[in-house]
Amino acid sequence: MPKSHRVARFWAGLLACSLLAAGGCKTSDDATAAATQMSATAKALSDYYAGLDVILEDTVQIQQLNSQLYAKPFSADNKKQLETTETELQTRIALATDFCSLAEDFAKLTGSTAPADVAASAGKLESEVESLSSVQASSTEQTAMKTALQLLVTAVQERKEREAARAMDDFAKGLSALFDKEAPVWASRQQVYADLAGALAGDLVDQGATDNSGLLKVALDPFGLTVAAPTGDLKSQLAQVAKQEIATKKDALNDCYSKATDAMSKSLAEMSKRIDLVAQDKPMSFRVPPLTLANVEAWATKLSSN
Amino acid sequence: MANALLDVQNTFTTLNANYNMLRAACQTDQQRTDLAAQYEAAETAYNKCVNKMLADDDAAVATLSTELKAANEQIAKSVQQMGNMSKVIDDITTAVTTGAKLAAMAGL
Repeated sequence: MPKSHRVARFWAGLLACSLLAAGGCKTSDDATAAATQMSATAKALSDYYAGLDVILEDTVQIQQLNSQLYAKPFSADNKKQLETTETELQTRIALATDFCSLAEDFAKLTGSTAPADVAASAGKLESEVESLSSVQASSTEQTAMKTALQLLVTAVQERKEREAARAMDDFAKGLSALFDKEAPVWASRQQVYADLAGALAGDLVDQGATDNSGLLKVALDPFGLTVAAPTGDLKSQLAQVAKQEIATKKDALNDCYSKATDAMSKSLAEMSKRIDLVAQDKPMSFRVPPLTLANVEAWATKLSSN
Repeated sequence: MANALLDVQNTFTTLNANYNMLRAACQTDQQRTDLAAQYEAAETAYNKCVNKMLADDDAAVATLSTELKAANEQIAKSVQQMGNMSKVIDDITTAVTTGAKLAAMAGL
């Protein structure tokens, strides 16, 4: 075969590799975007379920107090029912924990976290390409060849990303659907917790078991004045203010939870969408940063700081 | 089902919010006993409703766990294969090097 034909075939082969890999590069970026969304979502889902666990434990304690202080019955059967709810929650917590591991493994397949030995071997290969100067290839040709080989390596890695994404695709869709389906149940548990806690706090205010003078600090602190124990009308007026505070904070807690749930749902849906695009080898029309889950963090923090 | 949950939730929380007042209004022990029984029944109905709805999803949770396990295995395998990429590249390197040497010998 004439030399010109062999050279032409060689470069045609490299061009094919380049084209194959160039398409894959986009996928790698998309896989990285999916992995980022997945990691953020997995962590937030764990925090979300952990927050619900706090609610269930606090509900048990509130009902025990209600029973001891106000003769509201809290039967062994109802305590057991709450424990059953907690058992159900534990299966979802375990799912979220495994999901975190999955997100970490998927991240290994994308971007800069690829095993170092692959990078080292790729470097070795590049240096071998350098030696092609002995065949009088021009520097432009060598550069093109090195680029093509680097892209080939990337393409092979990305094929793994797509395989992994396909494996995760159904799970991501299912998890998102399950979360949305169960959202009313967990929202109900949150509302009941807030109602029980608010009612108990209100009962304690009515009984004069709380020191409500702190409500005056906002007016007195700037002038260096301290609060004296309120008496008479002021005492009963402050009790009313305290009960209004309870109602306001109860609404705020419910609102905070509602926003956290909404953010969690959107993040799961976005994650599922991104994984599906990688699995189907379709490019993302545009790439946005992971959806913020600050609402979930705020709600979880609010509960853990109680 | 979600609406039914909301109904039993409202019954329980309304009774809870007014329990002390109602109990204070009871004139006999029997009335207090009946009130306590209704409270317990309302809480039980609510808790059972929650657990029923969650238990209905047990199959879905089990399916997700299975899918997650399969995905984890697939990804672990992919990561492992990626680790073997160094061998693949080494093989390519050898081929390229040999090709270069052959080309040099042929005076290309």
